[in-house]
Amino acid sequence: MNVPERPRSFEPREPDPPNPLPRPEGEFEALKKAWEPPRGISFITAVNNTYVGLWYVGTAFLFFILAGILALIMRAQLAAPESDLVGHDLYNQLFTMHGTVMMFLFAVPAVEAASVYLLPNMQAARDLPFPRLSAYAFWAYFVGGLVFFCTIFFGLAPNGGWFMYPPLTSTRYSPADNADWWLLGIGFIEISAIAGAIEIIVGVMKTRAVGMSLDKLPVYSWAMLVFAVMIVIGFPAIILGTLLLELERAFDWPFFIAERGGDPLLWQHLFWFFGHPEVYIIFLPATGMVSMIVPTMAQTPLVGYRLVVLALIATGFLSFGLWVHHMFATGLPKMSLSFFSAASTAVAVPSGIQVFAWIATIASGRMKLTTPSLFVIGFLFIFTLGGLTGVMVAMAPFDWQAHDSYFVVAHLHYVLIGGMVFPLFAAFYYWVPVASRRPLSERLGRWVFGLMFLGMNITFLPMHITGLIGMPRRVYTYPVGMGWDALNLVSTIGAFMLAAGVALFLVDLARNFRFAGEDNAGNVWNASTLEWLPNGNYNTRSIPSVISRDPLWDQPNLPKDVEDGRYYLPGTATGGREALVTSPFDARPQYILQVPGPGWQPVLAAVFTAAFFLLLTVKFVLISTICGVLAIGCVIWWLWETDPGPVRPPADIGGGVVIPVYVAGPMNHSWWAMIVLMVVSGMVFTCLIFSYLFLWLVNPGAWPPQGVELPDRFWPFAAAALYSISAALIACASRTLRGDDRRSPGSVPVLIAVALLFVAAASALDLWAQWQSGLSPSAHAYGAAVYAIASLQIFFVLTTLIMGLYTIARWLAGKLDSVRHTTFDNTMLFWCYTVGQGLVGLMVVYGFPRLTGGL
Amino acid sequence: MLAGLVAWAVQFTVIYGATSTLCGRGWVGATMLGVGNVQAIILAATLAALAVTALALAWSLRLYGQAGDRAAPADRFMSQTGALINGFSLLVILWHGIPAFILPACA
Repeated sequence: MNVPERPRSFEPREPDPPNPLPRPEGEFEALKKAWEPPRGISFITAVNNTYVGLWYVGTAFLFFILAGILALIMRAQLAAPESDLVGHDLYNQLFTMHGTVMMFLFAVPAVEAASVYLLPNMQAARDLPFPRLSAYAFWAYFVGGLVFFCTIFFGLAPNGGWFMYPPLTSTRYSPADNADWWLLGIGFIEISAIAGAIEIIVGVMKTRAVGMSLDKLPVYSWAMLVFAVMIVIGFPAIILGTLLLELERAFDWPFFIAERGGDPLLWQHLFWFFGHPEVYIIFLPATGMVSMIVPTMAQTPLVGYRLVVLALIATGFLSFGLWVHHMFATGLPKMSLSFFSAASTAVAVPSGIQVFAWIATIASGRMKLTTPSLFVIGFLFIFTLGGLTGVMVAMAPFDWQAHDSYFVVAHLHYVLIGGMVFPLFAAFYYWVPVASRRPLSERLGRWVFGLMFLGMNITFLPMHITGLIGMPRRVYTYPVGMGWDALNLVSTIGAFMLAAGVALFLVDLARNFRFAGEDNAGNVWNASTLEWLPNGNYNTRSIPSVISRDPLWDQPNLPKDVEDGRYYLPGTATGGREALVTSPFDARPQYILQVPGPGWQPVLAAVFTAAFFLLLTVKFVLISTICGVLAIGCVIWWLWETDPGPVRPPADIGGGVVIPVYVAGPMNHSWWAMIVLMVVSGMVFTCLIFSYLFLWLVNPGAWPPQGVELPDRFWPFAAAALYSISAALIACASRTLRGDDRRSPGSVPVLIAVALLFVAAASALDLWAQWQSGLSPSAHAYGAAVYAIASLQIFFVLTTLIMGLYTIARWLAGKLDSVRHTTFDNTMLFWCYTVGQGLVGLMVVYGFPRLTGGL
Repeated sequence: MLAGLVAWAVQFTVIYGATSTLCGRGWVGATMLGVGNVQAIILAATLAALAVTALALAWSLRLYGQAGDRAAPADRFMSQTGALINGFSLLVILWHGIPAFILPACA
């Protein structure tokens, strides 16, 4: 093993640890006991980030292997011309599943999973702020993903390509259930990704080591923050897209059927508004990993920290201006294309900044050529090549030549394998010593790297030429004499080399990976960040105070002091699991968060959620509905144990810092999560309004279409009044709940109940107004769009109803008062959102056609 | 800190939305100054976004200058990163305005 030398020496500026020694007897034992995972069959109910994170990474890797096997079958089929190893229908399923599984079940979950494991450790938080939410996200993904994958064995797998363009995927051309598996299966796995993103945003902002202000945040945390925000903004587009396409397939609402006012291009906009940022969504966490690995391997701090942060944020923004570059061949005006061409070239700049920062870091230190270093260098080489062909296809005229050819296949694999798979393997080799008693083998690692690097290039480099000489992508075979034979054979040989590299990695894992509770291999690379502190199920014994971005280099006594319990919160104040919530900007301790422990609720809720969606696919409506109700029941059961209130007076966490064990209001972590959820909801709604306006644009003179009368003006005003009254009642309830004295006013449940009636009546009135005007959702895209807005609103109102009733139940059970009111706050925030969405919806649906006068 | 990138996002939405709507509906024409309406909107949106970003850049630099070495490292970091982001945004916004001078509106 090549262990790098110690870094250059730093001036000792270490502050005195806040807690004295010796620590009281039983303190450490109580901490250990609180964080112990359950035993036996209940082990699967563990929610510690270290367990869930590892299962999550393992499952994502399983999907990588499964989708890789699909790729090998395709390469075997293409090795020779006119081969009949697999038929065209199976081949269609293979490439659709390969792309879908790699993107949705491997890439995004893998980076999210790695962060479930790494983020709390890197920020010295005891766990993520919502551990049960992580568990829910994992189990929903695990069950849903495996069932989805199994469809390939029954010929039921989706076969319309991973981007599922209608009209190919509409009922007319894909009448079987294959497409529904994609729409419902993948649609709900996106929900799991969003749950993870909410967790990550709140985790990065609120649970950090003391003093880890934004300027000391590890680059990986920055990357994950941008990643999660991008998911929150981008994923709603695909959720809405799948919803609309499924509504079209199930109920004949013609969003994408041109004869009835729909437009298939709408799908492409929705898909790629998600789909392009998706590439950066998986790339940014990988760059975050690289930014952690490079300084360790070069034993010097990262060069250009601010520039790297700039690059991450700028990429996050610019990547939302690229989506139409997947649609260059659809005949849009050249001026429009040029904006996306401009953004596509501009986004290369921040990526370039990061590449130069890494090169400068390598140059300023002494890089040891360990396996993680090799994978990083491989990444730089492959990703830069992919980036260059990316700039080529960003030019519309070149793209028209290369579109839908193997050139694009080569480009996207260079970007994705270079940009995500190689950094992930670097990360495996780099971080395994945190999770395992033994590091992976350097000797085998070099072979793994060699095989994968050569295999990758031998597979995909020739594809640039195969594409340029005319081979289209997604063909299941090709005739002799096109000049493609040798190139394809070379690509197939390369693919099997790549697979051999991955197989060797599995051997390495089997030989060396041994899960470590408290006896991990330790800081074998002499890294500088907090995940390398001694840790156990509780993460670190005490929560350190940091003074720089490289605390383990700048505070040499830190590991020992942390392990001895000399830093903050060395035990448990409430007797249960706790995390330290810190302020988002400068990471000052704010309060002790009572973290929920293991439980069956998230596991069962996830299984029933998966069952709901998957059974709906095969039209088992009744059983599916029962599963849906059970899922909601499990979530309520799970929530019932949350919002514990101040179970004890404020506690001393060390150094005289006394903080409460419960706070409500804007400082509370769930308030933040609720705000993020509102942004997600707002994005779904924004995408729906975009769809409405897009359909208006393609239907000149038919908005509304002939024969459709707009409902009377009375209805929207009446509905708006009802919405406003309900919001006012909730505001009133909120005011009654405020105050210093602890009381539980009886007017609160009454106000909520009356407000519920008003909000329900408002949405019912809106729906009734459209229905009585004779508008049909299936006759024309206008009706479909109007009913889609109304349906989304009804979904939100129903959720508000459940939340309102739940809040009343909390009051009845004596779990809601003027101090313990987080449950009410969450309901109130969601209520405000629902009312706001309702009002905007009314303005658009009733106001826009009148404003444009049917133009 | 993020003003420049937000300005870019607004500029992008306006110029793409306007081009799509005006070209999609064939509502293309000349404005009073003889410039095409599509080009005029792109120009106006670009100038507005540039102005906002330039102000944000000046603000970040002023904060940085005022704070000097005495400021907390976190504050210094925020003003420096803000200046970098806004400076970069100026280039990006300018870059997105160029097509208006080169290409016909709806071809």
